[in-house]
Amino acid sequence: MEFINLVMSSFSMLFDPFILAYVVAGFLIGTIFAAIPGLTATLALALLLPLTYSLDVTTALMACASIYMAGMCGGSITATTINIPGAPSSMMTALDGYPMQQQGKGALALGHAAVGSMVGGALGALMLIAAAPFVAQASLLVKTTGKFSLLAFAIVVIVIAQRGKMVKAAMAACVGLMLSTIGLDAMEPVTRFTFGLADLTAGIDLMPVIIGTFAISEILIQTNSSVDAKKAAEAFSKVRIKRRDFIPPFSAIRDIGVVCYLKSSFIGYFVGTLPGAGGSMGSFLAYAETVRTSSNPESFGKGNPKGIAASESANNAVCGGALVPMLTFGIPGDPITAIMLGVLVINGIQPGPQLMSGQAELIAPMLASLLFSAVILIPLTLFLLGPYFIKIVSIRKDILYGAIALLAVVGSYVATYSTFQMVMALVMGILAYYLRKNDFPVITLLLGFILGPNLEEFLRRSLALSNGNPLTFFTNLDSLFFIVLTMVFVYFLAIKKPLKSPIVGAAVK
Amino acid sequence: MLSNKGLMFQLFIFILSVGYLVTAIALGQPILEGGLEPSFYPLLLGFFSVLFSSILLYREFALFKSDSSFAVNPIPGREKLAEKANYAPLWIMLAIFVYILAFTTAGYFISSVLFVFSIIIIFSSSQKIIQKSIISIVIVSLGYLVFEQMFGIRLPALWE
Repeated sequence: MEFINLVMSSFSMLFDPFILAYVVAGFLIGTIFAAIPGLTATLALALLLPLTYSLDVTTALMACASIYMAGMCGGSITATTINIPGAPSSMMTALDGYPMQQQGKGALALGHAAVGSMVGGALGALMLIAAAPFVAQASLLVKTTGKFSLLAFAIVVIVIAQRGKMVKAAMAACVGLMLSTIGLDAMEPVTRFTFGLADLTAGIDLMPVIIGTFAISEILIQTNSSVDAKKAAEAFSKVRIKRRDFIPPFSAIRDIGVVCYLKSSFIGYFVGTLPGAGGSMGSFLAYAETVRTSSNPESFGKGNPKGIAASESANNAVCGGALVPMLTFGIPGDPITAIMLGVLVINGIQPGPQLMSGQAELIAPMLASLLFSAVILIPLTLFLLGPYFIKIVSIRKDILYGAIALLAVVGSYVATYSTFQMVMALVMGILAYYLRKNDFPVITLLLGFILGPNLEEFLRRSLALSNGNPLTFFTNLDSLFFIVLTMVFVYFLAIKKPLKSPIVGAAVK
Repeated sequence: MLSNKGLMFQLFIFILSVGYLVTAIALGQPILEGGLEPSFYPLLLGFFSVLFSSILLYREFALFKSDSSFAVNPIPGREKLAEKANYAPLWIMLAIFVYILAFTTAGYFISSVLFVFSIIIIFSSSQKIIQKSIISIVIVSLGYLVFEQMFGIRLPALWE
C-alpha cells in the first residue's frame, strides 16, 4: 500500500515542466523510431543511453518508461497503413489493420490500436504497481542456490523460446557469458582473458555492448534491407487520413468487449514476465486466443477490429510484465528492459528486493510515467500528430542512418571519454552484425552478458557453502522450485509440439 | 568452401570457442583444496561453447556438402540464385574505425562531418555532393547542440 501511495504521489513530478518535457520527448522519439520500418524503440533507447549520464536517474528512468510504452504502440502506424510493422510486436496488428486500411478505414484501425494500447498499457502498469512490492518481498526468500537456479532458468527460457534456432540461441548466450568473464575475477585478484590489455582489466562495459549490439549492428544490417524507403513513401502518399476518423465509436468498442481487452492484457502481462518473450509473443498469443474463442473466427485477417484490440492490448501490457523481473531480480525481460537495467547500473543502483524497499522513491516515478504514457500520451499523440507521423516515416534512409551513426559512435565515447570504448562498441557491432546475418538471436547474447557475472558468483558461492557438493541445488527448496520450473518450460516450449490454429495460420499467410 | 560465408562464420565461432577453452585451461586448476578457482566457470563455459559450435559447424558443413552435390548433379528446373556482393557493411566498418582514430586528434567537427558524409554516400550514391555535404554539416551541428549544449558533454576540439 505504501508503494502504491508513493507511485500516486509521483504523478506530481509530471507537473515539473522539465521532467514533463523529457517524458513527452521520450514518447515522441519512441513513437517515431517504432513507426519507421528498420528502426526500433530499442535502438532509440540504446542511442539515448549515454545521454542519461548527465540526467538525474529518476528523470532518465521516466523517459525510458515513456519510450518503452511508445515503442510498443508506435509500430502499429506503419503496420496498419502500409502493411510493414514498424516493430515486431505489431506484426499481428497488421493482419487486421491493413485490410481495414484497404477498406478505407485506416484511421479507425489506428484508433482501435490506440484504444487497445491505452487499455493494455494501463492495465499492465497497474498490475506492475500492485504486484512489484509482493514479488520483491517473495524474492527475499530466494537464497544463493535459488538465485543461481533462477538466473539459469532465465537463460534457458530465453534460449528455448527461440524456436527453430535453439542451438544458435544457446551459442549466442555462451558468447555473451564468455564476454562477461573478461576482466578481474569477482572473488580472487586474478585477471582473465585480458591478454595483457590494461583497458580490459575492468571488463567490458555495458554501454559499448548495448550500442554495438543494437545501434551499430542495425546500421550494418540496414545496408542490406529490402524495405525500400522510396516505395514506402509512394505507398504513404496514397494514404489519406482525417483526424476525426481516429476515434472509434463506442458501439465498436462494445462489440470488441471488455473480456477481449482484459484477457489480452493479462496474457501480455504474464508473457512479459518471461525472459526473452517480448511484445511479439504476447500479441501473437493474445491474437490466437481471441481467434480461438471468437464466434466468427473466419472474419479475422480480413479487417476485424477485435484482432487489432487483442494484439495491441497484449503488446502494451508486456511493458508492465517485463519490468517485474527486472526490478525485483535484475533479470531483463527484453532488450529494452536490459537497457533500462543499464541505466540503473550506470547510476550505481542494484535491482533487487533492496531496491523496492530502500529506494522505492527512485522507481515509483518510472511507474507513474508508464501509466501516464499509456493513459494520456498514447491517445493524445495519435489524435494530434497521427497524420504527421505518416510523413515522418518516409524520411530519407541515408540521412537517417547518418544521424544514427553519429549518435551511436559519439555516444559510446560519452560514457567514459575513452576511445577504447568506441573501439569496443565497433567490435561488438561487427560481432552482432555477423551473428544476426547468420540468424543468431542477439537477445540471448545480451542476456548472457548481463547475467553472466551474477550467475558465476552465485554458482561459486553455492558450491563453496556446500563444500563442493552439487546436490545443494536440489536439496534447497528455492533452487529446486526453479529447476522444476525450468523443466516444465523445457517440456512445453521445446519438447511438446505447439498447437497450430488453422485460422491464425491462414491469417498469418 | 572458403566462399561459403555461413560455413566460415561457424568455423570462426568454433575457433573462438576452442581458443576460449584453451585459455581457460591455462588459468590453472579449476578446483583446489575443495574450493572453486577462477578457471572453473570459464572451463565449464568453454566446454559448452565448443559443444554448441561443433554442432552448428557440423550442420553447416552437411548443408554445404548437400548444396555442393546439387551443383554437380543439378535438379532439373532448380535455379541457382546469384548473390549480389554488397561491400557497404565493410565500408561502414572502415568509416567507423577511421572516425574513431580521427575523433580525438582532428576534433569532433571535422571528423564527424567527414564521417556522416561518408555514411550518407554509402547509403545513397555519390550524386548531389554539395547537398549531402550541407546535410552532413547540419547533422553534426545539431549533434553538437544536443551533446555539448543540452547535455553538457565535452566533445574534443582540434585546438586541444
